[in-house]
Amino acid sequence: MSLLQEERDIIVSNEYVDSFDFAEVKEFVKNASKDLFISHHFKNADKMLVQPRGGFPTYKKQFALNEFFVNANVDVLPLTIDSNTRLNDYSTASRMLRLSEENDVDMLNGYPLVNHGYRTTRKMITHFNKPVSLRHGTPDARLLIETAIASGIFDIEGGPITYLLPYSKNFPLDKAFLYWKYVERVCANYSELNEPINRESFGPLTATLVPPAITIVIQLLEMLLSLEEGVKSFSVSFSQTGSMNQDIVTGAVIKKLAKFYAEEIGCGDAAIHLVYHQWMGAFPMDKDFAEQLINMSTVIASMVGADKIITKTREEASGIPTKEANAKTVANTQYTLRILNGLPTIVDEEEEDILTLEVKAIMEAVFNDPADTLWRKVFNSIKNGIIDVPFSPHIINHNEMITIRDANKNIRIIERGNVPIPDRCFEYEKSKCDLTKDTTSIVNDIIHDIGIMM
Amino acid sequence: MLGNNAIMKVVTGVVGNDIHVVANRLIDLSLRARGFEVFNLGVNTYLEEFFDAVVETGAEVLLISSLNGEAEGWAREVKTLKAKYKHLDNLILMIGGNLVVGTGKAEDIVPRFKNYGFDLVCHQVDLNTGLDMLEDFIEERNSQ
Repeated sequence: MSLLQEERDIIVSNEYVDSFDFAEVKEFVKNASKDLFISHHFKNADKMLVQPRGGFPTYKKQFALNEFFVNANVDVLPLTIDSNTRLNDYSTASRMLRLSEENDVDMLNGYPLVNHGYRTTRKMITHFNKPVSLRHGTPDARLLIETAIASGIFDIEGGPITYLLPYSKNFPLDKAFLYWKYVERVCANYSELNEPINRESFGPLTATLVPPAITIVIQLLEMLLSLEEGVKSFSVSFSQTGSMNQDIVTGAVIKKLAKFYAEEIGCGDAAIHLVYHQWMGAFPMDKDFAEQLINMSTVIASMVGADKIITKTREEASGIPTKEANAKTVANTQYTLRILNGLPTIVDEEEEDILTLEVKAIMEAVFNDPADTLWRKVFNSIKNGIIDVPFSPHIINHNEMITIRDANKNIRIIERGNVPIPDRCFEYEKSKCDLTKDTTSIVNDIIHDIGIMM
Repeated sequence: MLGNNAIMKVVTGVVGNDIHVVANRLIDLSLRARGFEVFNLGVNTYLEEFFDAVVETGAEVLLISSLNGEAEGWAREVKTLKAKYKHLDNLILMIGGNLVVGTGKAEDIVPRFKNYGFDLVCHQVDLNTGLDMLEDFIEERNSQ
């Protein structure tokens, strides 16, 4: 028996798991409907796929939510996992699930997939016969991903960097790399049986003034870590920056460089897709304004040429949305996409050149780290600040990079810390900003820049 | 400003199971801009960690922040815990942010938190106003 299979046997031997039958799961994936695979839809769709967010604790409510989505003409169903499961606390999840079932009050902020188990969940997934995307935030997602794939969920979000740096203060990053390596290998192995399992990285990160260069570098690195384990379908992603031009430039550069680096490591045969997140920062309380913002995000996603868009709702500012509000965004977004025709092509060569140079310089510094494997190089680069994510709560993050918006609301780097932004690019970024102000005014500008959509 | 005084040290961080990091980073930046030496413990910090850091760094100011509304549960423990440490009598204790769950009036909240042992209490006060209050407090104390 291989080491991986030994580890898998240990992972599924958990008191909250009702006997895991690997042979049966293998047969299921092999014969599963192509419609369940987002990779199949990416190959054949002639439009941007629309996917909302959403997860409820009980099977009944999740089923009802999915029904609403399907009636709103959804392309990809979400399954958002509760916070206890994300921290591997299946015992609390189990108790809260029982309370939710008995009292008809939601005691969890998502669907506790491990507690429901794959036999139950598979009934729901195969009933709707739509691709499902797993949304979580789990550093150690090994059991969760085994359960998800066994349930028929073939689009797996996350990664060791993007699910750690925005969400955790002190979960050990080196462990996260190893846990995600397991996930990549399991996804790669299942991909040989039918259509490929798609992996998706979480580009929004902290969604707080993250400059495109940092977003793209992290997207590319998680993509490479996934492809080198044998994954054949991968989605890079980013969220609306606040400047339409910066979004278009980011989309162009990430597409170009994803292809370039995939080929560099001999994985040019993998299919790479682009996912765009509607505005991930603070939303306006006014629900009509929120709808305008959502609609504008859809227009920008079309300009960017995204393959999938992930939606927000008019209730974003006030908490977890109702299924009605959630389905409404899906219908509205589909409508906007249908009537958006004859879009112009916009290319900003100067901005693309600057961003490309920045990304390549950071990537080169990562590859030049003396460690022997890619994940160790990436780990070291985060530790020594070559990669620095603004507003990450994690203790390993350097927090030396400072960004503000310029007059056109582009996010600009005004302090680079240890990030090897080439001098020419750094001078360009700074030249767009008014740096004559004192730090107190700059802090006030940052507060304003974070809340631009309010 | 601090005049001719030596550089003052501040320990800061977000108390309890609170992961809201944005204001924490901005407090850090602003304190540095005002000439303080900052020891930022980040989000998700427990009271013991704050006091340990004050002892370790010899800080004159402890600035605790909180956004998720759970500060009061932690604030109640401050006096008891501080009493367990030696040489903290001159420590300036400040708390700021969104200090209660739901809505509350500053005129009720401020005296309550002062009673818990805080010298300065800023409930939903703008960052720079709060830091001005801190500098005024330090100046007043130094002139005594």
